[in-house]
Amino acid sequence: MSRPRTSQTQRGLQAVLTSTFLLVGPTHLTAGPAQDAVIAALAAEAGVSGFSAQTGKAFFQASHSGGKPETPSCTTCHTSDPLAAGRTRVGKPIEPMAVSLSPNRFTDPEKLAKWFRRNCNSVLGRECTTTEQGDVLTYLSSL
Amino acid sequence: MISLISANSAISFPKIAVWDVFVRVFHWSLVLVVCIAALTGFVLDATWFQIHVWAGTASALLIFVRLIWGALGPTYARLGNAVTDPATMIRHTRSLMVGNAPRHIGHNPLAAAMVLAMVAVVFTLGLSGVIVLGGVYKTGPLAFGLTYSTATSVGELHQVIAIGFLVLITLHIAGAIYESRRTRENLPLAMVTGLKENRPGDHVAPHHSAHPVMAGFLVVGALLLAFGAGNNLAARPEYGGLVQQIDVVYQDECAACHMAFHPSLMTGQNWVALMANLPDHFGEDASLSPASQADITAWLTRNAAETADTKPAHVFRDLDQAYPYTFTKAPYWQQTHQNIAPEVFNLAPVFSRANCAACHSDAETGWFYPANITIPQEKSK
Ligand code: HEC
Ligand code: HEC
Ligand code: HEC
Repeated sequence: MSRPRTSQTQRGLQAVLTSTFLLVGPTHLTAGPAQDAVIAALAAEAGVSGFSAQTGKAFFQASHSGGKPETPSCTTCHTSDPLAAGRTRVGKPIEPMAVSLSPNRFTDPEKLAKWFRRNCNSVLGRECTTTEQGDVLTYLSSL
Repeated sequence: MISLISANSAISFPKIAVWDVFVRVFHWSLVLVVCIAALTGFVLDATWFQIHVWAGTASALLIFVRLIWGALGPTYARLGNAVTDPATMIRHTRSLMVGNAPRHIGHNPLAAAMVLAMVAVVFTLGLSGVIVLGGVYKTGPLAFGLTYSTATSVGELHQVIAIGFLVLITLHIAGAIYESRRTRENLPLAMVTGLKENRPGDHVAPHHSAHPVMAGFLVVGALLLAFGAGNNLAARPEYGGLVQQIDVVYQDECAACHMAFHPSLMTGQNWVALMANLPDHFGEDASLSPASQADITAWLTRNAAETADTKPAHVFRDLDQAYPYTFTKAPYWQQTHQNIAPEVFNLAPVFSRANCAACHSDAETGWFYPANITIPQEKSK
C-alpha cells in the first residue's frame, strides 16, 4: 500500500535475477555496487580497510541493555533469521534484511541513517558507531 | 353473548376467510424482521449493524405497503374500518370488564388502536434510524445534511422508542392470548390460515372490495420515487466528511511501523503533543528530520478531528489525560473493545491493539463503519 506497484515489481524482478545469478554465478555472493559503495564510505569514515561480518552477526543477534525495555535486540523486530521477514511491534511486516532477498536494502543513505539512528537508540539507548554499522551491513550483505 | 355460549357447547361454525394472503404474509414478515432488528439492536454487537439497518428498512417498507393495502385492500385489510374513536374504545373496554363485549370478526377497537400505534412506532424508528445513519455514520440518504450532534440525540430517542415498541409487542401478544381465550378461538392460528369462525352475533365490518392493481401501481410508483430520491441524496457528499488524500510524507514516515492513522482520529492539540515527542514514541525512537516533522505536524493539524464530523472524530476527542495521544487508552475505545478477549490483540494476525486495520477494514479511511468490522481468526504468534 505504501509503495507504488512498479517498485514492487522491480524488486521482484531483481530478486529473480539475483537468484538466477546465485544458481549459475560464483558461489561467494557479493552485495550489489550500491551496498558496496555505502560500506566503502563507512570504512573510509572509520579509517579501516574493511568490516567483520562475524562481529556484525554477534552484534545483530545479541541482547543489549541501555535501550528501551520493549526492544532489547535487533532481532525483536527483524527476527534472528535475516533471511526471514520481520515484524514491527504493531504487526506490520518488515522485508528480510538479507540483501540476497531484498536487493534494495541499504541503497538509500538517508533512509539508512534514519533507521540506524532510531533503531540503535531504541535498542542501545545511543547511536551506533561507524564500525558497528559497517559490521552489521557487511554481515547482512553477505547473506 | 349467544356466540360465547354456543362455542362452549362445542358446536362447529362455518369458517369464513378474514385475513387475506397479503395481510398474513405481511404480519409474519413483520414479526420476523422486527425480531431481527430487536436482536441486532439490543443484544448483538456492532458487527451486526448492517443487518440491523436492513431489518429496519424492511420493517418500514412492509408498513408502508400495509398502509396502502389498508386503504385499497378487501374488507378486513382496511384500516379505516377498524379504527374507532376513543369513546368506542372505552365502551369496548368497559364491556370487556363486565363480560359482554361482542366478538369482532376483524380487529376489535383495542386491537385497531394497537395497529395504529405500531405503525406510528415503526415509522418513527425508521425515520430516526435513517437520521442516525446519516449524521453519526455519514451514510445513507441523509448523510449530506445532518450533524453528528443532532443525530446522536435522535439516536437516544430511537432507543427509547425501541423500548416502547417492546412494551407494545408484549401488550399485543397478551391481548391476542386474552382474546383467544375469551372467544375460544385461536387468533394467532387464524393469522396463519386466514380463517375465522362465523358465529351469530359477531360484529361484522361493512363490505369493501380490493383494488390490487391500483395498490400495486401505487406501491411500485412510490418505491421508485423513494429509491430515486434516496439514491440522489445519498450520492451527495456527506456533511463533515473525511480527507481522502493521505499526505505522501505522512504515509512514508508514519506508516513504516504501523498503519497510517487517519488525521481525523485526534485533535490538533493531541497530534502536536505526539509529534513533539517522537524520540520516545511508545517505547521506540521514531524521530524525524526537522523538515519532515514540520510538514507532517502541519498536515495532521490541518485535517485533525476538529475538521471532521464522523463518529471517531468525536469519540476520540476525549482521550485519557495520562495518555494524551493514544486511542487505545481512550475511555470510548476501552469500552467498545472490552468484550474482545485480550489474547486476540497479542496473537497473529492482529499483534497489537493499535493495529486497527486488522479488524476494521476501513480503518485507513478514518470511517470505522461497524459493518466493516471482522475479528480475524487467531493463530499462534
Ligand atoms: C522496533 C523494531 C525494530 C528494531 C528493534 C530494530 N529495527 Fe531495524 N528497522 C525496523 C523498521 C520498521 C525498519 C524500516 C522498514 C524497512 O526498511 O523495511 C528498519 C530498518 C532498518 C535498517 C534500514 C534498512 C534499509 O533498507 O536501509 C537497518 C540498517 C536496520 N533496521 C538495522 C537494525 C539494527 C542494527 C537493529 C538493532 C540495533 C535494528 N534494526 C533494530 C524496525 C526495527
Ligand atoms: C519506529 C516505528 C514507529 C514509527 C516510525 C511511528 N510509530 Fe507510531 N507507534 C509505534 C509503536 C510501537 C506504537 C505502539 C503500538 C502499541 O501500543 O502496540 C505506536 C503508536 C502510535 C499511536 C497510538 C496508537 C494507539 O495505541 O492508540 C499513534 C497515534 C502513532 N503511533 C502515531 C504515529 C505517527 C503520527 C507517526 C509519524 C510521525 C508514527 N506513529 C511513527 C511505532 C512507530
Ligand atoms: C481485534 C480487533 C479490533 C482491533 C485491533 C480494533 N478494533 Fe475497534 N472494534 C472491534 C470490534 C469487534 C468492535 C465492535 C464492538 C462492539 O460493538 O461490541 C469495534 C468497535 C470500534 C468502534 C466503534 C464502531 C461503532 O461505530 O460502533 C471504533 C470507533 C473503533 N472500534 C475504533 C478502533 C480503533 C481506532 C482501533 C485502533 C487503534 C481499533 N478500533 C482496533 C474490533 C477491533
